[in-house]
Amino acid sequence: MSTIPVKALRTLKIRVLRHNPADPDSTPNMQTFELEEADSMTLFVALNVIREEQDPSLAFDFVCRAGICGSCGMIINGRPGLACRTLTRDLPEDITLAPLPGFELIADLSVNTGKWMRGISERLETWVHAQGLDTVDVDALETPMEPELAQQLYELERCIECGCCIAACGTAQMREDFVGAVGLNQITRFRLDPRDERDDADFYELVGDDVGVFGCMTLLGCEDMCPKDLPLATQIAFLRRRMVAV
Amino acid sequence: MQIIYTDVLVIGGGLAGQRAAIGARRRGNEVIVLSLVPAKRSHSAAAQGGMQASLGNCLGGAGDNEDLHFADTVRGSDWGADQDVVRMFAHMAPKAIRELAAWGVPWSRVQRGEHSITEDGKKRTVTEDDAAHGLITSRNFGGTAKWRACYVSDGTGHAMLYAMSNQAIAAGIPVHERTEAMALIHDGQRCCGAVVRNLMTGELIAYMAKATCIATGGFGRIYRVSTNAIINEGMGAAIALETGMASLGNMEAVQFHPTGIFPAGILVTEGCRGDGGLLLDGNEHRFMPDYEPEKRELASRDVVSRRMEQHIAAGHGASSRFGEHLWLDIRLLGADHINTQLREVKEICQYFLGIDPASELIPVRPAQHYSMGGVRTNAHGQSPQLQGLFAVGEAACWDMHGFNRLGGNSVAETVVAGMIVGEAMADFCASAEGQLQLSTSLADDFLRREARKLDTIADNSGGESAVELTRLMQQTMTEKVGIFRSGETLQQAVDALQQLHLRAGRVGLRSAARGPNPELVAAYRLPRMLKLALCVARGALLRTESRGAHFREDFPQRDDRQWMQRTLASWPAAEDCLPTIDYEPLNIMNMELPPGWRGYGARDYIEHPDTAKRQLQIDTLLAEAGATDRHQRQQLLMPFLHLLPQTFRTRNQRLGGSE
Amino acid sequence: MDHKLNRWPARLDLLQSGSGLLLVLFIWGHMFFESSILLGKDAMLWVTKMFEGEHIFGKPYPVLVSAAAAVLLLLIALHALLALRKFPASYRQYQRFNHHLASVRHMDTTLWAVQVITGFLLFFLASAHLLVVLVQPDNIGPYASADRIWSGRFWLVYAPLLLIVHVHAGIGVYRLAMKWGPFSAATSGLWRGRIRLALYCIVAFYLCLGTASLVTYMRIGAEHAPFAGERYMAPTGTEAH
Repeated sequence: MSTIPVKALRTLKIRVLRHNPADPDSTPNMQTFELEEADSMTLFVALNVIREEQDPSLAFDFVCRAGICGSCGMIINGRPGLACRTLTRDLPEDITLAPLPGFELIADLSVNTGKWMRGISERLETWVHAQGLDTVDVDALETPMEPELAQQLYELERCIECGCCIAACGTAQMREDFVGAVGLNQITRFRLDPRDERDDADFYELVGDDVGVFGCMTLLGCEDMCPKDLPLATQIAFLRRRMVAV
Repeated sequence: MQIIYTDVLVIGGGLAGQRAAIGARRRGNEVIVLSLVPAKRSHSAAAQGGMQASLGNCLGGAGDNEDLHFADTVRGSDWGADQDVVRMFAHMAPKAIRELAAWGVPWSRVQRGEHSITEDGKKRTVTEDDAAHGLITSRNFGGTAKWRACYVSDGTGHAMLYAMSNQAIAAGIPVHERTEAMALIHDGQRCCGAVVRNLMTGELIAYMAKATCIATGGFGRIYRVSTNAIINEGMGAAIALETGMASLGNMEAVQFHPTGIFPAGILVTEGCRGDGGLLLDGNEHRFMPDYEPEKRELASRDVVSRRMEQHIAAGHGASSRFGEHLWLDIRLLGADHINTQLREVKEICQYFLGIDPASELIPVRPAQHYSMGGVRTNAHGQSPQLQGLFAVGEAACWDMHGFNRLGGNSVAETVVAGMIVGEAMADFCASAEGQLQLSTSLADDFLRREARKLDTIADNSGGESAVELTRLMQQTMTEKVGIFRSGETLQQAVDALQQLHLRAGRVGLRSAARGPNPELVAAYRLPRMLKLALCVARGALLRTESRGAHFREDFPQRDDRQWMQRTLASWPAAEDCLPTIDYEPLNIMNMELPPGWRGYGARDYIEHPDTAKRQLQIDTLLAEAGATDRHQRQQLLMPFLHLLPQTFRTRNQRLGGSE
Repeated sequence: MDHKLNRWPARLDLLQSGSGLLLVLFIWGHMFFESSILLGKDAMLWVTKMFEGEHIFGKPYPVLVSAAAAVLLLLIALHALLALRKFPASYRQYQRFNHHLASVRHMDTTLWAVQVITGFLLFFLASAHLLVVLVQPDNIGPYASADRIWSGRFWLVYAPLLLIVHVHAGIGVYRLAMKWGPFSAATSGLWRGRIRLALYCIVAFYLCLGTASLVTYMRIGAEHAPFAGERYMAPTGTEAH
């Protein structure tokens, strides 16, 4: 097997929610494009074909097109997902695409997740806090770490900040300042890291409120729709227990 | 007209750019980073398998040091690299990795006790030492004497980029996301910033800076099949070229990675083979030992890619409806290993091929992967032609890779070079020549010029399509400037690219969308990509030898006698239709390691008369010096520490007290 | 710096979960007591007496039942108030949630919407039921209850209450488990499935039990309708007057 053949020759009808806020004449509307499905066709391929052949102004974001950079999160038939690795074969003939809700719209399917994520990172201070980080003795042997712990840290660090968990979260959709699973997961990641000198009281300051961990209503959309299958529910539960115990 | 002033302007938000920015910021400079995309989405995140640094903690790495790393890298480069720079790099790599370890990268660690490993198709048990437990471990990679690739599962670049970005955020460095540098502002001698386009609003802004650093990565997208992200269009190198002053080094040195998944070209890491994976042909026969008995699947990438294509050409490929390919077999590593150490590979196979690599073969074929060439710099990362212009990472030709880069050396280069160039920019800003003397009217001129150019494109009613011409360019590059090259096809490529360059002037737009207008972006990038493509094709045409990744069927030997030269491409006048190609000699008499056989690949090469002379000189020097340690011996042959920033000149400590 | 920490968000979150858990435990216990009618009128009478303290004090004190009802009412009010904080706070929020709900078609998000609706209804239905108990604590017993249910038409309240309270309680316990449960990442999915299955079974069980009791009360009530108001005379004692 070197290709993923289509199940049947289909003409896809791709409906895209279009809107360009930079254009005062633009209003949100659904536009339908038709195209022939091909083997191994992903939404990355399909959208590029549409842009090349049908509408050069169609805006969307792809970077790595390999499911690792998190640029192409969008709503695919109602649910958030990474467009670059979604095969059209796995979708019905009628495909509806919309930009990720909860983020500033740039145009059509392109949203400003970068700005949002940078904001969360600044708000939650998602970096290792330790004395003397800019004067690390880089000649000396590194501090040892248990191999298992390193593995656990990587499991949490696999988050690609695609924004799917925000689009999948009813709480985040209602409350714009909710930090979401992406933010809470980062906190658990740094909490687990022995290199970070912060204690639970410090983390409580960051997420111990109703836009932080106590805002989560455990709707589990984040866990169920995370493209990287991160253990978000257990991480949030863990953080909630720790924060209550502060 | 809007002008933003800063001390340091870094164009590109990947690992190299951000590390350089952090370095300059720490020295008290105002720094702004420009990035086409949010910084954490940069292509650095795609580095999977590992970062080379001679820590020597695990058993496979035991005894490793800078000398071995240096020699592997020079051999990998097919003696095309600048050996001073390779020395600086090998010395800095352990420091870079240790700094990142302190910053939060969860490097995979040595686990004491027995482990089962896969080597040469067989399982073997090794026992890791107690003393090494918990230190950073490493895996085997191609073209190296030791297990030297330090890794974080197979998401090494991702983990590094996130730690780096987080530190940049902590340092308060602003990243102006979704902006693109359109032109460098300069007066013919001194670069002082860039004209920048906001990709969300279309607005043009001038950024004036004492030091400007290009860190935009490679230009893989001039090829049709590439592992590169779609943003890797080489725009940083292109705007440097368009200054008419700065030159691009070794543009014909383009790396093809052996294992791009077929046909999408998405990368699966060299770590697959490093960890014991095998390459099989259409008959599921393991063919690499037939060609490369010494290093087998783990010869350098240029060699493996060539052998693969050669094997396919000999009719041993597996066929599919998209064409011929080979197989990568990692089934023998077992599901446990794949689930922990090769997770991203597993996901890629699952989503893009619909297979489970623990039980099925992965279809692979070499795909364009890395640009050894880029903006030519000196050892401090500054352009020799344009003061105040720096370059770092894949966008630069700092020249530690020569004509072929070893796997894991590029992520290492990003951070190492970032550390060095950050300091160099800070030094420059603090120096007399670093002061900004140029008037704002220069910025104004450049701003108006870029605005005019964009208007011309937007008003063009020509019938050419940017998409179509881009496709033709990519087709030409993949078919004619690929792994196997010859004078005839290269000439055809140069001609075809010149035609495309002419046609690119007649690209018309179909939509006039405001704000983000993807069609306009494609239209103004196309001629720049074509210029880069012409540099590659013409450089390849003129280089009548085979070296590293540049292989000429009509000149299959490495020719040290004529070609110990670095190619320099420049574009002196905007109306030129071809790059000007010059050469800069590589002086064997200054080399620590004179040219020889690489230890894999072809054995025959044309020797330079200096090689024997230099070897004799080295032997004499060492004999005279008598019994000294390796550091003293090295200093005797090729002193390099003076090139490094003062803070980084001390020795690296290793397990067991060795340095 | 921890002296400045505002611990209220943590306390309120814990209180919301805690009050919910108490209410669920109560209702699950309550089901067994009320369904004592399935074992016969005498059994039910015995349970009634127990709650009035007759087995301890020698004579019934219906005021004990009133007190329990009052506590429960307070608990419900507290739980409702805390939960209210999570409800959409504006029409815009409501709209956005509704849109999201329809779009993602996601089980657990839908269950939350179900909980909001059932919670809202419960606030009235359960309060109504408790108020009756509060003011007429002595009006409980094999005939008294059956008459209220049948002749007093209270089955119209109890039938929907039965369904709503158990759906709400079942979803609530499932959410509590996911919210606080110390599952490892590797087994979390497994536990989630198990807990969901267990709660389907528990809810189904209580719905069956509740329906059987309600039907029994209705049958007794119907038979006793001509004598509605008369209390049950048993060998062990009489319903309170």
